[in-house]
Amino acid sequence: MAQKKTGKTIRLGSAAGWSRDRFEPATDLMNRGNVNYLCFDSMSEVTMSAAQVSRMETDRVPPYDPYLLPRMEPILKTCKEKGIKIITNQGWLDPEEAAQQVAALAIKLGIKDLRVASVSGGILTNTIGTMGLDFIETGKPIAESLDTVVSAEAYLGAQGIVDALKGGADVVITTRIADACLYLGPLAYEFDWSFDDYQLMAKGMVIGHLMECGSQLSGGYFCDPGYKDVPDLANVGNPIAEVSDDRVLLSKLSNSGGVVSEATCKEQLLYEVGDPANYICPDCIVDFTKVSFKQVGQDLVEAFADQAGKSKTPTLKALVGLTEGFMTEEMVIFAGPGALERAKCTQDLLEQRFQKVALQATEIRFDYLGINGVHRESSPAPVHEPYEVILRVAVKTAERSEAEKIRREIDPLAVNGMSATGKWATSAPGSRVRPVVGLSSCLVPRELIHSTVSFY
Amino acid sequence: MKVTTQTMPLREVAHSRSGEKGNDSMVSVIAYDINDYAVLLEQVTIEAVRAVYGPITKGVIRRYEVPLIGALNFVMTDVLEGGRSRTLAFEESGKALSSLMLTLPLNMPADYIGRSIAVKRAA
Repeated sequence: MAQKKTGKTIRLGSAAGWSRDRFEPATDLMNRGNVNYLCFDSMSEVTMSAAQVSRMETDRVPPYDPYLLPRMEPILKTCKEKGIKIITNQGWLDPEEAAQQVAALAIKLGIKDLRVASVSGGILTNTIGTMGLDFIETGKPIAESLDTVVSAEAYLGAQGIVDALKGGADVVITTRIADACLYLGPLAYEFDWSFDDYQLMAKGMVIGHLMECGSQLSGGYFCDPGYKDVPDLANVGNPIAEVSDDRVLLSKLSNSGGVVSEATCKEQLLYEVGDPANYICPDCIVDFTKVSFKQVGQDLVEAFADQAGKSKTPTLKALVGLTEGFMTEEMVIFAGPGALERAKCTQDLLEQRFQKVALQATEIRFDYLGINGVHRESSPAPVHEPYEVILRVAVKTAERSEAEKIRREIDPLAVNGMSATGKWATSAPGSRVRPVVGLSSCLVPRELIHSTVSFY
Repeated sequence: MKVTTQTMPLREVAHSRSGEKGNDSMVSVIAYDINDYAVLLEQVTIEAVRAVYGPITKGVIRRYEVPLIGALNFVMTDVLEGGRSRTLAFEESGKALSSLMLTLPLNMPADYIGRSIAVKRAA
């Protein structure tokens, strides 16, 4: 059955690509982007577990994105006046609390009749160990790691956002959902797409996948001078997807820096994708090999994604955060003649000292920044003696007290180390030891996950 | 003997972006000119990529073909020393791994104009 035509044209603006992305794009898109929706992605894989750990250390940290209210305050009033709807996954561990806070902010700002919705569900921290599931990575039962589970949450689909919008929400605040669903949700609502139509679900997910990382579609994370130049990157404009019944057009904020080209779209299409023919999402499987692009104007690309869908799987992916001890890192700095030799001798000295203080580490790593700090063992051997070398040491330990031993060996190098040993951030107070929360994943049967939508 | 080929880094023929999921890194290889996709298919093999990424890849390397956009997509498994949440590596995100791909050497026709020259000429 052919999809009914709506005659609508909907413009979605990518207001943020991750939790600590810039604030300006939201205001710029609201003022000059002629958009119907502002969509904020605030999550990476580690976001929920990191938030859970912060909450364990101090209850002064909110259970939602601490940037939620700072991001909403400057735009809430004008968005309501202009009818721009806001979709954000900044609800993190407690979207209901987040939605109540935004509703309270609206009252404080004198905004009348702002309807805020929360989409919750999918948090499985207390139940994941009892579901009889195994980790994908190791095949081992999650129940065996029960003592170390600090967080577990499934990736929800777009249905909750659609229900929230049908209920009249101006602002929709979700917990963990698949990032691209921040865009699929409003599109499915506006164009009345059935969740049984996998081609339409996939079309929405392709659009969302391209848009969810903010300016990575419009010139960010792209510039390679002399090979891929990007004009005025400092003022890069965030992307806009303009979707009608038959067309998908990708552009960016007008009069801004950056570039939207077939090349930027291709890079983002494959970004963090494994098998492009089988990208498994909550509401469908997407086949990215069926997607193509055509430049139709300056900073204007048409995307073709009408036949990219396959039926969904019976499970939803969940991430499980596990406490795995502590880690810390320190650096010592060298330059000039013999810099590399003095760095190497310092590694030798530290290894002796770690033995002497009986350091109990589960993992120790030495890097030579400037030589192999980034591509690690795949770095080519240096052709020339480097002018500068930074020796970095990183360790993982089961106990915090063992990790604390590292700085107690590094700081004394100021007087006990090699000639001309430079130091870094010596006046930074406190400890650089941090807890490790490892992420593993599993597949949860859909029927075990229940999502709810509430209004405030 | 007349020289008919030249060696140049992949950076002159294709661009690349990398990211991560868990302990795996995904690295795309996208031809600047879609007509060069055949060169990528023939020369940017799993073996060639292993020669570059082998020392840090503890798992397998997979290659996927995306002909409509003239691209290959590689997945290196167990390459991030545990992944962003667990790694002791200084660069924890895998986002800097695409530039390693661009060092891969290609044999190109002697008269091939690489990207850097083409960009200079266009300017």
